[in-house]
Amino acid sequence: MDAVAVPGSSGPAAPQVEPLDLDHLDLDQLDLSDRDFWGRPPVERHAVFDLLRRERPFAFYEDPEVPMLEPGPGYYVVTRFADLEAISSQPAIFCSGKGAVSIPDLPADLSEFYGSMISMDDPRHAKIRRLVSKTFTPRMLERVVDSVRAIVDDVLAAARAKAEAGDGTIDVVSDIAAPIPLRVICDMMGIPEADRAMVLRESNIILSGGDPELIENQDDPLTAVLEAGIAMGALMERLAAERVENPRDDLTTALVTTEVDGERLTHQEIASFFILLLVAGNETTRTAISQGVLALSRYPEQRAAWAADPGLDRTAVEEIVRWASPITWMRRTATQDGDLHGHHYSAGDKFLLFYAAANRDPEVFDDPHVFDLARDPNPHVGFGAKGPHFCLGAHLARREIAVTFRALFDQMPDLDVTGEGDRLRSSFVNGLKRLPARLTGAR
Amino acid sequence: MTRVHVDLERCVGSGSCEMLAPDLFEVGDEGVVRVLRPLGGDDDLALAQDAVSGCPTQALSLVD
Repeated sequence: MDAVAVPGSSGPAAPQVEPLDLDHLDLDQLDLSDRDFWGRPPVERHAVFDLLRRERPFAFYEDPEVPMLEPGPGYYVVTRFADLEAISSQPAIFCSGKGAVSIPDLPADLSEFYGSMISMDDPRHAKIRRLVSKTFTPRMLERVVDSVRAIVDDVLAAARAKAEAGDGTIDVVSDIAAPIPLRVICDMMGIPEADRAMVLRESNIILSGGDPELIENQDDPLTAVLEAGIAMGALMERLAAERVENPRDDLTTALVTTEVDGERLTHQEIASFFILLLVAGNETTRTAISQGVLALSRYPEQRAAWAADPGLDRTAVEEIVRWASPITWMRRTATQDGDLHGHHYSAGDKFLLFYAAANRDPEVFDDPHVFDLARDPNPHVGFGAKGPHFCLGAHLARREIAVTFRALFDQMPDLDVTGEGDRLRSSFVNGLKRLPARLTGAR
Repeated sequence: MTRVHVDLERCVGSGSCEMLAPDLFEVGDEGVVRVLRPLGGDDDLALAQDAVSGCPTQALSLVD
């Protein structure tokens, strides 16, 4: 999705960045379009957000340089909760149709794969969304929960077996956080086992933010992303043909057989929707789980409280999503001139809604930098803010997170995180590439 | 008597209301919300107000 949002100009060798002097931050020296900024520790990132929120609520940055793309006119960074919610809840004035997941406008061939309903406006967006919303109702998901439990049990057993067969270590990301949502969304969509490794690999590339570890050719990151889209599109072609012949009870069948107002979705709409569901279903929940495990390891008293009290599940899941803010931002584009909370904007102005910043806004959250699993109310925007694009999979994600952590407490009380993990160098996804851990109960 | 109005053009079936007040709301097989019963008393009203303010697409409102 975030095909071209981030690729910056820095090469594969990540320069060792000096720690920021958090007491004397100079906003003029910081560039949110620079990918290296996103490799900085979370505490630095949030210190910058705090300062932007206080001093430059509509800070302006130049578009990032992306090889082979025309740079656009720049964008405004929205960090205050009230501004973000005002923009998100007025989709006629601040549209998604110019692109929601990329800072520069996307070239046509990338739009084909990534121009899904996330980058559409109503009424088309609403029609397409309703197609799948039937499959994501809370009641439908009750039926999915049992299978989520089985998947989680299976994944945790495999992780333990790996630790016991080896040196007692695991990688929380690749052994736990990645396979759980991958298997859930692939089951829901009916993706054959044999294709799942490919789905994970291509999803990683699509949401890599240009991270050099995932995209080798830094001179041409767009081609890698485009090829990932082509591979996913080819899988969709094959499955779509099979489902037309033999409909099944899965999301892919719903996509290829349902009519909206008497018309089928176009081939392009199906392809981009298919990719959206796979990528969004994978990367976001993985990030919530891996960042959640990391947070619990840093706040063991919170972990102990939650482990002892399933009654905390509801608020704990919301706090993990607030804390992790798996998707850092989405873009909106002004369709007309106007004023918002004292800021004048013009038609065509681009706004990046920084959910990660709004989720730490002290105007809304008491002690916003405190990880509090009992936080209530918790009106976070980790699933997006008010408006038609609110996360379709929020309930599924909540279920997956709750079930995963309860299973971790029950089956892996000996999970001991042994490092800070490797952060994805992406502005768009707050991902971890690896998170080392040990199972102290394994020999 | 206060009741809940659903704007079906806006409802995307996110189910936030059902999560907040499962006795009052249910997202049906059509992918949009149904109000299950009339509001009973102050407790129901408070729940309904939560649902109205928690609806991500502003599809719910209270009318007298």
